[in-house]
Amino acid sequence: MKTTTIKKYWALLTISWENGLVYRMSVFMWRLRRFLAAVMALTIWSTIYTSAAPEATTFGYAQSDMISYIFLISILQSLVLATALNGLAQDVYSGAISNQLLKPLSLTVYLIMQDLADKLKNASALLFEIIALFLIFKPVVHLPDLPTLGIFIVWTLAAIVLNFCISLLFGSLGFWSPETWAPRFLFYTLLQFTAGQLFPLDVLPTIFQKVMYATPFPYLSFVQTQLFLQKLTLSEIQLHSMVLLGWVAVLAFLAQGIWKRGLRDYDAAGR
Amino acid sequence: MSKPPIISITNLKKHFKVYKKKPGLWGSIQSLWHREYEVVKAVDGISFDIAEGEIVGFIGMNGAGKTTTLKMLSGLLYPTEGQPSVLGYNPWERKASFQKQFALVMGQKNQLWWDLPAVETFYLNKAIYEIPDEQFEKTLKKLVKLLDVEDIIRIQVRKLSLGQRMKCELIAALLHNPKVLFLDEPTIGLDVVMQKTLRDFIKAYNKEFGATIILTSHYMDDVKELCERAIIIDHGKKIFDGKLQDIIDKYARNKKLSLVFSEPVTKKDLQAFGDLKEFSDDGSHYTATLLVARKKATAVAAQVLSKFPVVDVTIEEPPIEAIIREVFSKEGS
Repeated sequence: MKTTTIKKYWALLTISWENGLVYRMSVFMWRLRRFLAAVMALTIWSTIYTSAAPEATTFGYAQSDMISYIFLISILQSLVLATALNGLAQDVYSGAISNQLLKPLSLTVYLIMQDLADKLKNASALLFEIIALFLIFKPVVHLPDLPTLGIFIVWTLAAIVLNFCISLLFGSLGFWSPETWAPRFLFYTLLQFTAGQLFPLDVLPTIFQKVMYATPFPYLSFVQTQLFLQKLTLSEIQLHSMVLLGWVAVLAFLAQGIWKRGLRDYDAAGR
Repeated sequence: MSKPPIISITNLKKHFKVYKKKPGLWGSIQSLWHREYEVVKAVDGISFDIAEGEIVGFIGMNGAGKTTTLKMLSGLLYPTEGQPSVLGYNPWERKASFQKQFALVMGQKNQLWWDLPAVETFYLNKAIYEIPDEQFEKTLKKLVKLLDVEDIIRIQVRKLSLGQRMKCELIAALLHNPKVLFLDEPTIGLDVVMQKTLRDFIKAYNKEFGATIILTSHYMDDVKELCERAIIIDHGKKIFDGKLQDIIDKYARNKKLSLVFSEPVTKKDLQAFGDLKEFSDDGSHYTATLLVARKKATAVAAQVLSKFPVVDVTIEEPPIEAIIREVFSKEGS
């Protein structure tokens, strides 16, 4: 890659980051919301276990496992699901993406930089939140062995790409319809339940688990947590690796095709 | 030998399918299972060539297809039919080498980052257009000075006035010294002083860089002052393409005679020479405005001078706005 190209996208990344920090109160409130969601989930599960005997398990999870699980999934979801592309469909519909289409830059890379800047912003706040959660709930998190940690990092990056592709697909709705709120709302409702934010998915009946594993949702953070907590067998790791990468490939291909078609139908409204 | 065209379009069309909603609540309910669509021909078979360095005024009423054409020339819209060529490129392919050579400025939209000072966008554009440091500093300095915005480029864009923002928009669009410039209503909403400043600036830019410019504007002063050539479009079709003077010659039926008298005259006497548009007699000043047929204007002026106590007379073309109205009314009838 040419130096000038790197400079171009670096400039985009820094200006997006700068822009994201303009409204301090908004950044603070958003992080507070994520922090409180984690605190609530951890408090509920701590309370459930308080009344039980120290060695008791609930749905096959001991107290320390469950607290570790909720702790980990909160961190992961802060990294994976927080995205700058929530308003992409609106930007498409209103013609705001014309600015990027007119310039010598890749729209996809531009969106990646926007998303990356948002994640960097969230990650820096997350560091302080992790310390606070650690101090409050004192979770016992056992680091997995190095190869597992390596796979965990790859899976987390894949989940970020997967969520980016899903955001692109939702964004593409703006080419044909101004109403993108309803499908997004449905998606987030499903996501809250199926990505394992409130409880581990393996506490659900087998039939539900099978249905969920047929969707990309558990691959957005649940399987990563299971891997980190060393709850997966080698064959499960192999299977999930294939399915996760499969989802990334399928959704990336789909997003690329739909955007190509969408840009032909794009009417650059309002500009 | 005439210069080869830098912009060339042949039979360019853009049709949109739009949903036609029936009025009222029942119409909304019906639209849940049945929707009617109609095809709107925003641009319907336009052809023209523009040579390097020309400033062309693109004139038309709202919805005539001006902006849609500019969007196709910029590669934002995919044409339904016909292939435009700008600087030898097909704009729709959006090649970086093409995008580095043109700019589109929209009067009512901005490319500046709303919550950051304009200078941040300038530096971002420097990186995006890969402008060498020296060229960037030189151009920025020159543009900032020309538009007199030194004090405002470090203030958040959202806190700037419309005129200040427009000046910064122009700088952001011109930093890479584009060879082709599409200006869509660049002076809209600006006061007359600011309009004049921008017009002077556009003229200077064209002169210095030999840039080819297409300008759309509702203000005829913009077109009159900047463009020798005008293209008029109506309902997606081109109805005139030529020198502005030719529009006047072709469509202006009358000339305006403004008269100042030293003594009172009667309306009735003046009406014998043409269409009396204005008449004023306040006891000390006596003025009148007559519309007379273009071909007879000189003769009529001579007759008026010999018959009345005239102290001053001017013969003017009617305002260009009135001529354009005439063009549209003729095409519409």
